[in-house]
Amino acid sequence: MRGFTVLLQKEFREAWRSWKFLWIPLVFALLGMSDPLTNYYMMDILNAVGNVPEGFEMLMPELMPVDLLQASIGQFQTIGLLVLMAIFVGTISKERASGMATLLYVRPISFGAYFMSKFIVMSTVGLVSILAGFTASVYYTVVLYGTFEIGTLIASFFTYFSWLLFVIAVTLMMSATFKTVVATACAFAVIFIGQILDALVGTFWTISPWKLPVYGVQLMRGTMEMSDYWWSLSITLVITIICMGIGILTMKKNASMTKI
Amino acid sequence: MTILLQVAGLTKQFAEKVVVDGIEFSLEKNTSTALIGPNGAGKTTTLSMLTGLLKPTSGSVKMLDGHLRANIGFLPQYPQFYPWLSALEFTEMAAKLNGVPAKKAQAEAKKTLEFVGLGDDLNKKISTFSGGMKQRLGISQAIVHKPKLLLLDEPVSALDPVGRREVLDLLKGLQQETTILYSTHILNDAEEMTDQLLFLRDGKLVEQGTLREVRQRFEESNYVVEFSTEKEAQLFASQSELIGKAKGSYVYIEIIDEQPSMQGLLQHLSSCPYEIRKVERQTASLEEIFMKVARKI
Repeated sequence: MRGFTVLLQKEFREAWRSWKFLWIPLVFALLGMSDPLTNYYMMDILNAVGNVPEGFEMLMPELMPVDLLQASIGQFQTIGLLVLMAIFVGTISKERASGMATLLYVRPISFGAYFMSKFIVMSTVGLVSILAGFTASVYYTVVLYGTFEIGTLIASFFTYFSWLLFVIAVTLMMSATFKTVVATACAFAVIFIGQILDALVGTFWTISPWKLPVYGVQLMRGTMEMSDYWWSLSITLVITIICMGIGILTMKKNASMTKI
Repeated sequence: MTILLQVAGLTKQFAEKVVVDGIEFSLEKNTSTALIGPNGAGKTTTLSMLTGLLKPTSGSVKMLDGHLRANIGFLPQYPQFYPWLSALEFTEMAAKLNGVPAKKAQAEAKKTLEFVGLGDDLNKKISTFSGGMKQRLGISQAIVHKPKLLLLDEPVSALDPVGRREVLDLLKGLQQETTILYSTHILNDAEEMTDQLLFLRDGKLVEQGTLREVRQRFEESNYVVEFSTEKEAQLFASQSELIGKAKGSYVYIEIIDEQPSMQGLLQHLSSCPYEIRKVERQTASLEEIFMKVARKI
């Protein structure tokens, strides 16, 4: 892992100086607070906007705190991941295309170290972001609805983080393997089309990385079949490690694609 | 003289096109070599293979004194930097990645940046740098770890005359302790700091040798005698026993096997009744040689 700390420092400097540690968590925090707030004030919002017919009665569903957290996670799953992936999907491929990688690739660095430094920085940004998102969501839910059980909440958080590591590994692997445009398409396909497919025909199986975010919520509801949970978690971690391995290999193989 | 780098049968083929075709040469320690050729001759491809970035289709690059990748410094034609780093941060990172101990890296980086003339801009972000400053930074990142071999792709082509002068002086300062291989198509530069010339054309090495050797091979062996008028030149050419051709107010006298000698010519001229303005032995400029090599089939 030659040069690991040096490369890690460089990646952190980049993320820090381009404000990634500030604005991506901010996006997640806004997403997290939107569901508890809009649901709670839905009636007021409708009244304020007007146009509610005279005598209109709407049956608002009785929401449990966990329902609101699930809604927030749904937001992270679409807009949140879109932002995070779009920001980082070019992190390897764009360096090659612009030629910035050239001055590093000619040195005796280890590609494993370079890939890992990027993985760690993206994971840290991801961790801070979902921490901000969960905190915002939980805070407003607790204030407006009711409390959570702390143990399963933390379990749910780390389950979501495991899923996020999978997303990050896929994103970086695509970035190492393809040019930015293709990498974006492939990474989005795996994560978003994967989610849709898993939702549509996923009833036929119970073990898959795409189910992890839902399983995290089910942990809180207490309706989780634990063997499915552990299997999904293990498989996700295994695929994550495989993706990282492939990413390191293709990054090395594609080193000659860097613009000179 | 000890040999540092040996290149044998180096070939690169992209799909159907052979870009570099079996070139062979070696570099002696602490010499500078210019890789010359028209655009598209394969200079950059050759350099990329020497850096190890590009895998050759066949052939080998061997450094006889240590591992290649750890001992080179490379400056691409258009170096790209991380704009959010400062000059010092970037050079320090470059040093550390090449194994300069962390404690020494910053001091080395500072020293190198001062050497290339960026001493006042250590902590400025690279995004604020001008083209000339980036080129200096490019040189500093290539030399900060004191590599045995310095590979430079068109180091001065993109600079204005002042910047070019300064960078050339920098490189001359490095000549004593480093082996330098650089590509260029600006021949005046090559003339200034070159021990060996490598002419590439269509991926093939068509000429190589020291500047003197190449010159001798291509020299138009001529004396030129300038007279004050055309008529005198013509009269001289027709009357003299030396074989000369008049062209304007000049007479060109061919040298065959070093005959006539300069002394002989001067003796002959001393009895000449016409006014002579100038006598010189013509040396082909590298540019003329370049044109000949580039067109030679």
